[in-house]
Amino acid sequence: MSTRAPETPALFTRKATGLVREARGTDALFYNVMWASVALSFAFFWLLYGFAYQGSNAALAFLIAVALGLPGAFMYAMLAQIMPRTGGDYVFNSRSLHPALGFAANFSYCFWLAIIYGVYTTYLAAYGFGAFGRMMAGFTGSSGWLDFGDWFSTEHGLFITGTIAVLLSAVVFIVGGLRLFLRLQVGAFVLYMLGAFLLPILAGLFQSRTGFLANFNDYAANLGTKNASAALDASAKKAGFAPAGFNLEATLKSVTVFWYIFGFLYSSNYFAGEIRMRKRTHLVAIPGAVLVAAVAIALMLPAYLHVTGYTFNGMLGFADPAAYGFAAGAPAYPEIMSIAAGSWVFGAVIIVGFGIGLLIWLPQTMLLMSRSMFAWSFDRIMPARLSYVDPRTHSPVVAIAIVTVLAIGSTAIYSFTTWFSTLAVLLGLSTTLIVTAVGAILLPYRQRAMVENSPYGRKVGGIPLLSLVSGLALLGFALAIGVLLWDPGSGASLSENPGKVVLALGVYVLAFAIYFISREVRKRQGIDLSLTYRELPPE
Amino acid sequence: MGLFKRRKDNGPGGRLRIYYASDIHGTEVLWRKFLQAPAVYQAPVIVMGGDVTGKVVVPMVEEDGEVVAELYGQPERAGTPEEVAELENRIRANGMYPHLMTPDEVQRVARLTVEEREAWFADVMLVTFERWMSLAGERLADPEVRCFVMPGNDDPPGVEEAIESAQRVEACDGRVVDLGEGYTMISLGYSNVTPFDSPRELDEDELFRRVEAMAGQVEDLTHCVFNLHVPPYASQLDTAAELDDELNVVLAAGEPKMIPVGSTAVREAIERFQPIAALHGHVHESRGVARIGRSLCINPGSDYHTGRISGALVHLRDDQADYQFVVG
Repeated sequence: MSTRAPETPALFTRKATGLVREARGTDALFYNVMWASVALSFAFFWLLYGFAYQGSNAALAFLIAVALGLPGAFMYAMLAQIMPRTGGDYVFNSRSLHPALGFAANFSYCFWLAIIYGVYTTYLAAYGFGAFGRMMAGFTGSSGWLDFGDWFSTEHGLFITGTIAVLLSAVVFIVGGLRLFLRLQVGAFVLYMLGAFLLPILAGLFQSRTGFLANFNDYAANLGTKNASAALDASAKKAGFAPAGFNLEATLKSVTVFWYIFGFLYSSNYFAGEIRMRKRTHLVAIPGAVLVAAVAIALMLPAYLHVTGYTFNGMLGFADPAAYGFAAGAPAYPEIMSIAAGSWVFGAVIIVGFGIGLLIWLPQTMLLMSRSMFAWSFDRIMPARLSYVDPRTHSPVVAIAIVTVLAIGSTAIYSFTTWFSTLAVLLGLSTTLIVTAVGAILLPYRQRAMVENSPYGRKVGGIPLLSLVSGLALLGFALAIGVLLWDPGSGASLSENPGKVVLALGVYVLAFAIYFISREVRKRQGIDLSLTYRELPPE
Repeated sequence: MGLFKRRKDNGPGGRLRIYYASDIHGTEVLWRKFLQAPAVYQAPVIVMGGDVTGKVVVPMVEEDGEVVAELYGQPERAGTPEEVAELENRIRANGMYPHLMTPDEVQRVARLTVEEREAWFADVMLVTFERWMSLAGERLADPEVRCFVMPGNDDPPGVEEAIESAQRVEACDGRVVDLGEGYTMISLGYSNVTPFDSPRELDEDELFRRVEAMAGQVEDLTHCVFNLHVPPYASQLDTAAELDDELNVVLAAGEPKMIPVGSTAVREAIERFQPIAALHGHVHESRGVARIGRSLCINPGSDYHTGRISGALVHLRDDQADYQFVVG
């Protein structure tokens, strides 16, 4: 330990611009947790449980997903410290591996984000507005509310609602810019935490299973079906349902669902201070976000299972929803916990909170995609028009327009077709993580000085610490991709969906083609794209 | 709009490639890379747009035959001269100045007033900066290469004198310079007022007056480059995190609240005088390009602590400008 007197400063700082205090690790943690889609992932699990993962142990599946993703969380924390404010995977990979590969990995990530838009918009319609209408009918007996709710689950209801939501998020940026979005986000977050987590957990803890089933029967009676729990049981058995014990294979396959959280968890690169003074900020923010997700699931799972149980959820997957009064479709986590809460007031808060979580994801993703497009445009891979900013509103209108069109297209795909299942995008999103892990393994060898001068410059057994951690991250990501390729529930398995696997690879081929064509076009314009990434030798 | 716009042939006229970078904040490896830019990017004119000195001095305290310094919140010890040199390099590579001091000196500096400490900082930084100027004399062997450097708002007064006395570096702050090929450049390293109370700040009226005075000396503004450290207000080149009175980042829903912090005077000057290109730094996190009228405005940003220098190649062709961001 140093013998320096406690009051002796370790460094002297000047009055200089930009020398701001580091954001606290907890702030960055908050940012990561917001986008981790924990509540949605939890809802996915129970929607898919009956017909895809019966016999799975949810807690074990989640812990396996955590084990696969945790090294990646440490890897991203180290990268954020070594290369603060890099602008994300695109900048990092294009500089550490190859510009074409950096672009391809980021293009792939954005392509699959564009596809997944439709999941959020259609879920907002069906499990937000639709569930709200049905919940109101379930508690009040109003056929008007039921008709209102059921409409949102029709193909046109999904598409129209989703399209309006996408257009609204575009309008937020075009009219009010980032400031308006951030203001909306604060209120949204409070509702999201209250509705998607706090109230359901309390409802689960204070309600009994008997009480829940009584509420369920009363609720379904208001929808027009008496003794719904018995009807559910009969319909499920008729469809071949039988209660199942623990099943290891189902548990391993269901890791797919919880892996969804890790597509969005590693995102606090912009919180680095200007000087790499402390190590802990990113360690708190990224691995800490995994811990928070774990705590959330640890509270949600027993609360939810306390009132429903695996058998009830299994029956929901098998039974015909019309048989037990839910003609528009089986209820999801927020509606089930509304029933458990036993009041339309609590139900409204739960469903609105869950729906707000879906709604706020739309502009955030719009922001993320338009930032990526900006980076491609700045590097001249894409036309300069892509980064055009409206002088009046200061909004990137071209990029937002493109994302809006893609999002509406995706909403149409999820509304009117069965081309993509809910989780089909995970494979594509995860390939970007793989590329980053490879880049991080090689970084200490390709940028030796940068890594050695960082807080993570030490070696373990002659191997750079970053390479070791990134090797484990690569293993985790690879195993997760292995699960996705094995599990038919992922919508991108080798056995059931080889076309999706080809598509995931095809997106990279398309991106490589765009990069190399662009390079030739720019060459004719007098711009040498290879200079963009060329290292200047210091000596 | 065309997907990829074909460059127009604007007939006879000059052609010039400029390499521009800014805000290296005392990071020596970046200065060394900057001096390699003419050869690697084939740019006969290189411009360093201000904020060349650092922000942090790390005391290397001599104790019991060892040198102790704190990095990333952890004490680091160096015993042999080689270990001391390695520790110095690690500190420099992170954009900070290592400074050998006794425990008593550290205590003395800690007790200085803010003004006295700024003066002490200037002395420490100028030792390094003068060495950089000498290095430029050694590295820029090609007499055709022009290297312009100006101080930014963060640089202490001595920097300007060091540039003036350098052999292969040309001072440009506050004056009109001829770049060759029919192009001129005006430069101003001062910024508008910041929350940091940095050494070279002016109010907006005075900023405009100085730019206007220089622009008035330029015969053909369609062939003039504006090298103005601070970017134009609300241009997307000036977006930074809002700070509170304690210089903490203001957060909204966990994300930094970003606001425009550029200069209204610079914006007005660009709108009025319409230079062919405007080069800016100052706001590190706001890398980008914008058009204000016909003027191409660029801020290459800065990631100086990563050991990589963010810059821009500006291709001038008659009265048209094109750009390319580069990270070396």
